[in-house]
Amino acid sequence: MFSRHNLSTRRILLAYLLVTPVVLWRLLTSVYPFLRTFYISFFDHSPVRRTFEFVGLDNYMALTRDANVDATLSFTVFFTTTSVALQVVLGLAIAELLNQRFRLRNLTRAVNLLPWAMAPIVIATAARWIFHQDFGLVNDIIWRLSGERPLWLINITSARFAVTLTDVWKNTAFLAVIFLSGLQGIPLELYEAAKIDGADGARSYWYITLPLLMPLIISMIIFTAIFRVLSFEIVYALTNGGPGTATSLLSYLVYLEGFRVLNFGYASAIAMLLFFIVLVVGLLGYGLLRRAWERL
Amino acid sequence: MDKRYNFTNRPRAALSRPTVARNVMSRPTVARNVMSRPTVARNVIFTLTIILFLVVILLPIYYIFLTAFAPGEKLFTKPLTYLPQSLAIERFRDIFSALPIARYMFNSSMLATISTVLALTVSLLAAYAIARLQFPGANLVMIGLLASSMLPGTATVIPLFQMFQQLKLMDTLHGLLILYGSALLPITTWVLVSFLRQVPEEIEDAAKVDGASLFPLLWRIVLPVIRPGVATMFLINFIVGWNEFFTPLIFARGAGAKVITMALSEAQVIGASSEFEVSWGNMSAVAILATIPVFILTLIFQRQIVEGITSGVFK
Repeated sequence: MFSRHNLSTRRILLAYLLVTPVVLWRLLTSVYPFLRTFYISFFDHSPVRRTFEFVGLDNYMALTRDANVDATLSFTVFFTTTSVALQVVLGLAIAELLNQRFRLRNLTRAVNLLPWAMAPIVIATAARWIFHQDFGLVNDIIWRLSGERPLWLINITSARFAVTLTDVWKNTAFLAVIFLSGLQGIPLELYEAAKIDGADGARSYWYITLPLLMPLIISMIIFTAIFRVLSFEIVYALTNGGPGTATSLLSYLVYLEGFRVLNFGYASAIAMLLFFIVLVVGLLGYGLLRRAWERL
Repeated sequence: MDKRYNFTNRPRAALSRPTVARNVMSRPTVARNVMSRPTVARNVIFTLTIILFLVVILLPIYYIFLTAFAPGEKLFTKPLTYLPQSLAIERFRDIFSALPIARYMFNSSMLATISTVLALTVSLLAAYAIARLQFPGANLVMIGLLASSMLPGTATVIPLFQMFQQLKLMDTLHGLLILYGSALLPITTWVLVSFLRQVPEEIEDAAKVDGASLFPLLWRIVLPVIRPGVATMFLINFIVGWNEFFTPLIFARGAGAKVITMALSEAQVIGASSEFEVSWGNMSAVAILATIPVFILTLIFQRQIVEGITSGVFK
């Protein structure tokens, strides 16, 4: 009895010892800095002006009056919804495509992964060249087809689409891979039964595939949406948030305010806004996911 | 919670189904030698779709290669010429002579490799404790890791920047390793826990009876069994580390700790006479150097990477 108790105490102690490095590492480099950011957001804090002064909610009040924040939020909404919608639809289509049997399927699946493997900053920087007015790949194709050369990065709407399309090009592969393994997990008997009942391909997709994939689709929508809200490299290198502030995202705004203007207090308040948005998206998505499960 | 586990188990079970069974679903309904007209039309459309898909993915990549190897002014033609005109390596010579590219690539590979090894090591310890030693708070650790991975990097960067200045960690590789490794921990731990839970515990029990102590047990018994999981996470973490940009942008400002992804913007201004002149050729050359390693890994280890991506989601 005594030795057994002793053993389990030893086991628990050992367990704590083993998880300590991971927990401590994350506490010091993630949790603590996050709490500290929250704290700093209540201060007028700038290393240039050498200030560290409690100002209460002033930084948050300033957020509501900042036209840059307005522009950033409106682009965040556009970018997140458009990019996620395109990625989910194209991801489902590509998954279906890669699930068929054809020659060179393995090679095609590997090619699908290439954009995923590339660094976001490489793609964003190269995209500036791809969308170049005179010598870019995109305008060359458009010019051959229509004789026009649109001003991609100078015009507000087209700049927004340039950012979104670049993002879709890079990230759809990830969703396609996930949806593909979702497709492979659906029991074949269901399709056979449906065929006996006379359902064709489109109908069995609508009545069997989509409902069964729905929880996965919803969780990927949440996941993808959160990462769109957090994006940084794509606007940092492709548009610098421009023209004006038309393609600015919150992470980019934190970077500008924190490391160009060196206004740590205000940058921290923007970072907290970013966190709040991610939290809301995550909670809303979690609610949706639970409802989808109940329906299944 | 229960329902979620139901789902997470289902695709995994189905995934392990033999390949033959899986492919029945995609087999054409009509036998190939008696193709009716709609089937021919379908096949043509299908093939064209595959080609379109490959073109959309590969053409931009090819264009960057074309740009990097196009000599001097040959780049700027209207309409563009899509056939390679020459293999001019002058841009690579230019960027290597103007920037410490070799150093950047060394730093990138060191940071990616060491942070991956460190993260895998400590994650394996934690994952073993979570999956094998029932202890109060195991779930809390798992959920805490997941929640902490949702904290935006931009919401931690300012205090980290100040900490790094105080601790003299700016512009150092070991400083960057702390941050690179930290970013990898939550997902690595989660995936390793799921791999461990799939492996029967009995194998270890036998070793325990033989009196093997913890580290030999982990090294000789546990590690070989979950080697596919470890290898997969090694690959993915290496790619993530190699592609890192935001962290070095903030924490590596001196040449000593800079990485290859930071050379993109530096290469653009080599030999530029004004701030608006951009050398797309040099940029493309760096883009190729920064991309070749991850392409090679992806093409060789496609299966393992897909396994890793999906195990992060399903398991």
